[in-house]
Amino acid sequence: MTAKKTFPNPPRRVALFVTCMVDMLYPEVGMATVELLEKQGIEVVFPEAQTCCGQPAFNAGFRDEARVLARRFVDIFEPLVISGQVDAVVAPSGSCVTMVTHFYDVLFESESAVEYRYRAANLAAATFELTEFLVDVLGVTDVKSRFDGKLTYHASCHLLRELGVDRQPRALLENVAGAELVPLDGADECCGFGGLFAIKNGPISTAMGERKAANIIKSGADVATLCDVSCMTHINGLLSRQQQRCRVVHIAQVLNNQVDVADSPGTSRADVAAPEPSRRWQDAREEK
Amino acid sequence: MSVDIHAPYKERVDTALHDKHLRIALDRATSRMKTQRADAMAAIDGERLRTQVRKMKSYVLRNLPDLLETLESNLTANGAHVHWAADGEEADRIILDIARQANVQKAVKAKSMTSEEIHLNGVLQQAGIKVVETDLGEYIIQLADEPPSHIIAPVIHKRIEDISQVFQRELDMPPTMDPSAMTGAARQILRREFLSADLGISGCNFAIAETGTICIVTNEGNGRMVSSMPRVYIAVMGIEKLVPTVEDAFLQYQALCRSATGQQCSVYLSMTSGPRRADHPDGPEEFHVVLMDNGRLNMLARGYGEALMCVRCGACLNACPVYREIGGHAYGSTYSGPIGAVISPLLNTDVTDADKLPHASSLCGACRDACPVKIDLPRLLLNERADQVAEGDTAWFDRQAIRAFADTMKSPGRYAAAASFARTGSNLLAGMSGGNITFMPPPFSAWTQSRDFPPFAKKSFRRQWRERQERRKRIGNEGQRSKIED
Amino acid sequence: MTTRETILNRLRSELRRPDLPFPLGNTPPLTSDERMTVTAASGTLWELAERFGAELTALHGTYEIVGTPTEARLALINRLLTWREEERAAYRGPKPQTGQEDQVLGWADEALPVPGIADALADLGIEVIAPAALYSSEERDAVRFIRYGVTGVQAAFAGTGSMLMVAGPKTSRAASLLPLRHIALIPFSRLYPAIEDWLAAERNAGTLTSVLRANANVTLITGPSKSADIEMNLTLGVHGPKFVHAILFEDDVER
Repeated sequence: MTAKKTFPNPPRRVALFVTCMVDMLYPEVGMATVELLEKQGIEVVFPEAQTCCGQPAFNAGFRDEARVLARRFVDIFEPLVISGQVDAVVAPSGSCVTMVTHFYDVLFESESAVEYRYRAANLAAATFELTEFLVDVLGVTDVKSRFDGKLTYHASCHLLRELGVDRQPRALLENVAGAELVPLDGADECCGFGGLFAIKNGPISTAMGERKAANIIKSGADVATLCDVSCMTHINGLLSRQQQRCRVVHIAQVLNNQVDVADSPGTSRADVAAPEPSRRWQDAREEK
Repeated sequence: MSVDIHAPYKERVDTALHDKHLRIALDRATSRMKTQRADAMAAIDGERLRTQVRKMKSYVLRNLPDLLETLESNLTANGAHVHWAADGEEADRIILDIARQANVQKAVKAKSMTSEEIHLNGVLQQAGIKVVETDLGEYIIQLADEPPSHIIAPVIHKRIEDISQVFQRELDMPPTMDPSAMTGAARQILRREFLSADLGISGCNFAIAETGTICIVTNEGNGRMVSSMPRVYIAVMGIEKLVPTVEDAFLQYQALCRSATGQQCSVYLSMTSGPRRADHPDGPEEFHVVLMDNGRLNMLARGYGEALMCVRCGACLNACPVYREIGGHAYGSTYSGPIGAVISPLLNTDVTDADKLPHASSLCGACRDACPVKIDLPRLLLNERADQVAEGDTAWFDRQAIRAFADTMKSPGRYAAAASFARTGSNLLAGMSGGNITFMPPPFSAWTQSRDFPPFAKKSFRRQWRERQERRKRIGNEGQRSKIED
Repeated sequence: MTTRETILNRLRSELRRPDLPFPLGNTPPLTSDERMTVTAASGTLWELAERFGAELTALHGTYEIVGTPTEARLALINRLLTWREEERAAYRGPKPQTGQEDQVLGWADEALPVPGIADALADLGIEVIAPAALYSSEERDAVRFIRYGVTGVQAAFAGTGSMLMVAGPKTSRAASLLPLRHIALIPFSRLYPAIEDWLAAERNAGTLTSVLRANANVTLITGPSKSADIEMNLTLGVHGPKFVHAILFEDDVER
């Protein structure tokens, strides 16, 4: 992996890589990301041609298919970085960032792809996960957020073990006013999502997720936070099936004050109309 | 109901997941071993140790032919006999021939995964030779007629209650839950076997090329027994298990002990360089070493040479969240866990549904962090998946699904259309179950059997973004206009 | 072509392939100046002896440190007598007679680092058996029920509480393996901070490889025999000794 880009001057503009899951399933996470960055004085641009980084195909072994998507991704984002139109690319996902920063060089390692390998390396150096960007690049650990309740943190695998990002989200959470950060047993253990693994090996994936869900319930947290909506989908899918009160939310939602304890299902929130159909574990602030 | 390692993969996994006792046993043991390893590595500069062992082992692979020749000539000079085996069958035949020539009636064995890999016990027993496993765990599963389920803790899949029943059933032992009592009974029985066996068989944790020395690591002392008491001693090893120097051996030894059991040193490290000298009071008269390929060269040739650095410590099994749920037998192979998932399809062994093993991982990377040689196991699993695709070795459905996915993601138009289609469909499904989606058609039913799925957002992010930009433009224009009008 | 040639030839040709992803072409050996001491220890010989004892104690072994070889001999006798008393007191009911109750399986007297042990024990009615041959089952049966083993060490390592045994004409493997209880006599002159210090000393003296090659078997022992195979429960004395007692003593032998 290439060395990360350094910033002699504070970055002013970033391109948002929102990820396909956030785009389609959790737009509120994308909006939270935008607002968090804007609050730090960063201008956000959103290249609308973006779709998916190619990770699902790559993880399943379909390298040709993944390579097509990876090239496409590089074509969209790399010119923005190289031309200086943006200082960095930021995504609210450790897993999708890992694809770009750690796995594109695998896809482009053949001789014929040398141009893309070079361009992908440029892009990788300037691509950051959201909390990594806030803490390591902007030097911010307090985003002036508030949450009156107990929080806990699940360390997603790619974020923790490929990117080595762990202290950054924890530092941000520690500074959430009113929140008590409670420990989570096995916080660094996989939730069992693993992309197609969740389908191909459904029963094992479920067993792993049930363990994670049980640990979250045991932690006594009102909400558990994480930096990847894929793990979030998996754990919430189990919590919802078990009709638990506790939910998992993306860290951007907490940092952007989109989550209250009262958001948990079974309690109603007077000031926001319930979305239709009711989306139990997400915040309702789609329309502002 | 224990897992039948020859059953189809899905059946093995289902049996394992429904075996409550198995899952209790696995949970108790792996969490303990995981903590012990982490503590032992944290007590020293574990990162530096791992880097050094990795460097040493990559040197070994790069120089393997020369080191093998050095090992062979030193062993021969020390008075040992060196044999080469292309595969398990040849290794079995060599060992059987040695046993027959030495007129062996009974063999005692120290735990050896290599001998499990080539099903040596069955071959010897068929030839009328009694084979006694002497590692306590191996002894228990030999009594229970099961294969080992962990590289270093063969009976990890049994609770103490289950082990007690095996002792009662097979040895007529009175019921007890006292592990010392069970160990005491095994000590007595096995002591008789050690002192009366003609042949000792062990694997090899590492062989030192510069001295011609076979090293075995044990805690119980059975490794010392099999290499010291019987008349004939045979060590069987994969061609990759070499270290260049004595110092390298002790470096790997300490990394192995810390990674396997969290010990600084195992209780015993037995280093055998040759048969006993004429004036020694004990030791074997004959010493044979079998160097076996059995698919290891294939691993190197196919680009999986990194997995040949494995020191078989089992740390990746203990760290693996998949292994913790299903245990070793579900992998259907001698080698289980992440390393087993990588090497089983490549080794020359007979594993039912071996092609499923590279997919039996969420790629979480805990194994790589635990590995004393830093083998990038997730990357190797990804490569195996890619090889399967390249060789057309994938299910028709997977291929169609991924192609459709890639086609969709290639074009913003199709992407938008698919999203809108998914939104309609998911709203329908969510509406039926009142909120989240609790039912989806196959293959997505594999998800909704146990987990809900959120409905697609009413307005995608990109639509919200567009609206926001338009709103801002409008406000911006209005602001401009009001400025002019002022 | 023999299997040997097939394997070596194919290995060589595969390793020449430029497209082979692993191992990397430029893989140097690990050098002695970069190799780490995994479990280091430091201090005076007395401090090292204390460290050795602490490590052994953590492994459920026992130890004592004394000033002279004479005191070491006395310590050995006391330890044997205490053990014998304990065993007699613990035994209920009629004890089967093996004829080996008053025997010790040991290294030859001249191989022990403390002189006069056999004579001293003989005065107490304890016979030291240093077998010349344990090849036949009759020869083995003659020592099979001996409960005590007495040995010296080739070297001992403080950082890990480990003892190195080298097989030889007068130093049987059986003495540290077969009996239930093992006493090791460790003179300070054979005590090293860590394994790596001994390795360096032997390597510098040019004797490291011959220690291994000339003696057929070298064994590192760290604590009493044990297993955790039964659901991670620690049990001691599985095949080797259940009790390991180290007597460390100051001697005036130059290293």
